[in-house]
Amino acid sequence: MPVRVAEISAPSQVSGTISRHTSPPACTLLSVGQAFSGTQNVSSIQKEEAWRVNVRIQGCDLEHGYLCGTMEALNVPMADTPVVTFWEGEIVDTKNYTFFTGKWDASPEDDKRHWTKFPSFLPLLSQVEIDGGKSLDLSNCPYIFMRWKEQYFVNVGTDCGLTIAGFYYVCFSCSDGSINGFYYDPNSSPFQKLELKSTNEGRSGFSFSSYELQ
Amino acid sequence: MPSATVNSRRPIELLSRLASDEPEVKVRALREVKNQIIGNRTKKLSFLKLGAVPAVAGILADSADDVMDSNCDNNNVNNILVQSATVLGSFACGFDAGVQAVLDAGAFLNLLRLLSNSNEKVVDAGARALRMIYQSKLAPKYDFLQRKNMEFLISLLNSENENVSGLGASIITHSCKTSLEQKALFDAGILRKLDSLLEGGSLSQRDASLESIAAIFKNNPEVISKFAGPEIGRPLSSVIDLVKDRYPRTRLLACMCLIVIRNTSPHFLQDLGIKTTLIHILLELLDDPGQVGYEAPFAFSSLIAQREDIQKLALEANAIDKLHHHLQKGPLHPRHYEGILLALADMCSKLESCRSKFLSLQVLNLVTDALTDNSADVRTAACICLKSVTRSIKVAALGAICNVVVDFTTRKSIFIQCGGIKQLVELAKSMESAVRSNALWALKNFVFLADNRLKEDVFSELTASMLSSLICDPEPCVQEQALALVRNLVDGYINSIEFVFAEDGLILGAIGRQLQSSSKAEIGIQGMYALCNVASGNEFHKEAVMHQLFPQTGDKNQSYMIKFLLSNDSQLRTATVWTIVNLTCPSSPGASGRLEKLRNAGIVSQLKNMVNDSCVDVKLRVRTVLGQSMGFGDN
Repeated sequence: MPVRVAEISAPSQVSGTISRHTSPPACTLLSVGQAFSGTQNVSSIQKEEAWRVNVRIQGCDLEHGYLCGTMEALNVPMADTPVVTFWEGEIVDTKNYTFFTGKWDASPEDDKRHWTKFPSFLPLLSQVEIDGGKSLDLSNCPYIFMRWKEQYFVNVGTDCGLTIAGFYYVCFSCSDGSINGFYYDPNSSPFQKLELKSTNEGRSGFSFSSYELQ
Repeated sequence: MPSATVNSRRPIELLSRLASDEPEVKVRALREVKNQIIGNRTKKLSFLKLGAVPAVAGILADSADDVMDSNCDNNNVNNILVQSATVLGSFACGFDAGVQAVLDAGAFLNLLRLLSNSNEKVVDAGARALRMIYQSKLAPKYDFLQRKNMEFLISLLNSENENVSGLGASIITHSCKTSLEQKALFDAGILRKLDSLLEGGSLSQRDASLESIAAIFKNNPEVISKFAGPEIGRPLSSVIDLVKDRYPRTRLLACMCLIVIRNTSPHFLQDLGIKTTLIHILLELLDDPGQVGYEAPFAFSSLIAQREDIQKLALEANAIDKLHHHLQKGPLHPRHYEGILLALADMCSKLESCRSKFLSLQVLNLVTDALTDNSADVRTAACICLKSVTRSIKVAALGAICNVVVDFTTRKSIFIQCGGIKQLVELAKSMESAVRSNALWALKNFVFLADNRLKEDVFSELTASMLSSLICDPEPCVQEQALALVRNLVDGYINSIEFVFAEDGLILGAIGRQLQSSSKAEIGIQGMYALCNVASGNEFHKEAVMHQLFPQTGDKNQSYMIKFLLSNDSQLRTATVWTIVNLTCPSSPGASGRLEKLRNAGIVSQLKNMVNDSCVDVKLRVRTVLGQSMGFGDN
C-alpha cells in the first residue's frame, strides 16, 4: 500500500516490521535434513558414561527463530532400543529470542554460566551483560547460538526411566557444522556435554535435500 | 365492483386487471401483486415469466405522465405511482433477474422522476425502489464525473427523507470505484455530508453512510489523509464511536469502514486499543443471527489477513476457540460456514502458535467434514483452511518422524497403496504447467529423506526418460521442481546416486544441459545441488560430475561454473561452491586431478576473489575449498 513517509508515526513495536539484518546468517549445514552424530556425556560422580547420539534437523523457520528435529540416543543402558526424542529449538537471533532464556527454571545467572563455556561466546559477553545481547549484530558471526528443548519421546513411553525435563544450550559452528552443547536441568548433573559433528552418512562430501511448504 | 373470488388472485387474472382503465381496479391489482411477491422468490419468478414487470413499468410511465395533466385526480394518480413503484422495487429486491427486468422495461428513469414529485409518499416509494436496484451489481453505473450528476447526488444526500438520502449513499457505495471518482466525491464535499449523517442521521442513514465512506476511502490513501488530516479527531471518531453502537449491523459496518481505512493507510489506527476493540466486536458479531453473523467472519478475515501482529492479538482474544465453537454448533448456513472456515485459514496462515492451538482443539475433524459439504464455496474454504494449517513446520516434521517409529504402516506406504504415487505421476504429465509443477513439488517432498524402497517405487513409476524430459520442460517452474526432485532422490543412502545414471545417464545429461542453457537462478540452484549431491559419492560419481561441468576437455571454454560463482544470488554461489568442496574432498584419490582441472578453468582464482564474500555461508565454503586445496601443495 502506498504510505506517505512523512506521515509515519513512531516506529511500530511489532516484530518483523522493522527490517534489521542483525540475525545470525543462514547456514546450509543447519538446514532441514542435515544430520549430525557424536556423543552426549552423561557422567556422574559415580561413573563415566557417554551415549552415542544422532541428531537430524526436521524443520527450520529462520524468520521466527524456530527449528525442530529428532535426537536419537544409542546404547542407553535402561533401554533395549535406541531412544528417539523430538526437540524444538530457539535460535538466539536478538529478534525472536535473546541470550536470556526466561523460562525452564534457568535464571540469567544460569544462562551466563552456560554461554560462557563456549569460547566463541566470549566476545559477546559484555554486550549480553548490558542488554541480553538485543543490540548485537550477529549477521557476520560464524556461530549460531540456540536452545534445544526435547518435547517428547517418539518411540518409548515416559516410564522408560529417562528424563527430558531440561534443555540444551547449543553452539553451532557454521564453518564445519560441528555442534557443542550443555544440558541444563536443575535435577541432573550439571554441564553434561553434547558434542556432534556434521555427518556425511557414508558419503565423501556433503549432500543437501530440499523440503518446502507452499 | 368485481367480487373477490379465489380465482381473481391468480397471476394471469391479476395481470389482466392491471390493464384495466379503472384506477381503483389497477390500484387493487397492484396491491395484490405486491402482497403476493413480497419475500417470495418463486412468486416473483412466475410473475416475471408472465411479463408482469413491463406491465407495471408501463403503468408507472403512464401515471408519471399523468401527473403533468392538471385534469387528473391526483389522489388516484399518486396511489398508482406509489403502488407501481413499490411493486417494481419488490421485484428488484434481492433478485437479480427482477432488477434486470425492471431495467429492461425502461422503468429506471421514471422512478428517478418520482424523486421530484411533490407528494412525500410518492418520493418515498420511488427512492425505496431505486435503493433496491442499487443493492444489485446490475444497477446502472452512475457517472460522478459529470457535474449535473454530482449536483443531483448532493441534492439526494441533502434530503430530509431518509430513503432519498439513503439512495444517495447507496449510489456511492455501488458505483464509486476509481480513485478519480473518489477524489471527485471528496472535492464536492460529499464526505462531510456523509459524516453529518453519521452524527445526526437515522439508523438507516448511518448505516448507508458507513458503507459509502468505506467506498470513498478504499485503496485511496490520499483521500484518507486529506479528510482525516489535521482534523483527524472528529470525522474518524464518529466512525470509531459507531463500532460500539447498539445495532449490530451498524457495529459491523463501522468495523468494516475502519478496516478499509487501516488496510489502505496502515499508519492510521495503530492504537492497540482500536485493534483490540475491532477484534472483540467482530468476534462478538459472529454470534448475531442472520446476515450480520454471516458477514462478520469475512470482515474479521479482512482485519487479520497478512497481519501477524493482529493475528497474535486475536489469538489472545480466543478467536480460534470462538470460531471452533461455531463450527461445533452446526448445521450452518453455507455463507456462515464458508466465512468461519476462511477466518480460521487466515488465523493459521502465519503463526505456528495459532496452528498449534487449532490442532490442540481438534478442529481438524470439523474442517475435514466440510470437504464433503454440498456447497462448492464451503468445500473450497475447507481446502484453503487445511492448506493454511498444514503449512506448519512442526506438523510436517512430525509427519516425517512417523517413519522413525513405524515401519511399514506409515502414512507414506498407505499413500502408495492407495495409488497416490501413480496419481501424482499422471498429474506430472498434465497439459497445465502449474499442475505439472505442483505434482513434482509433492513428489519432491514425498521422497525427502525417504528410504530407498520408497524412492525406487517413485522412480520406477516416473521413469528416467520422463524425469529427464521434465528437467527440460518448456516451463522453468517445472524444470525447477524436476531438478529439486532429483536432488532429493540422490540424497541419503549413497546407492541412490545411481538413479541419475539409469539408462545411460539420461538424467545426469539432462541436468548438465539445463545448467548450460538456463539463465534463471532457481534452476541453477536446484541443478547445482543435484550435481553437488552426486559429487558427494565415489570416484566414478565425481568424475561423471566433472564431465558435466566441463564437457569439452582440453578447452579453455568458460564453464557456467564461473557464471554461477559471479551470480548475485547467494544461494546459487553457495550451491556451486559446495559442489567444488565435494569434488576436491581430500579423502578421494582423484581429488588432486580434479583440482588441477578446476584451476585450469580459472575457478580456483575466482574462488580466491571470494574469500570475503558478503554471504557468510559462501565465504565459509570458499575457505573450506581453499583449505582443502592447500593440502595438495597449491602455490
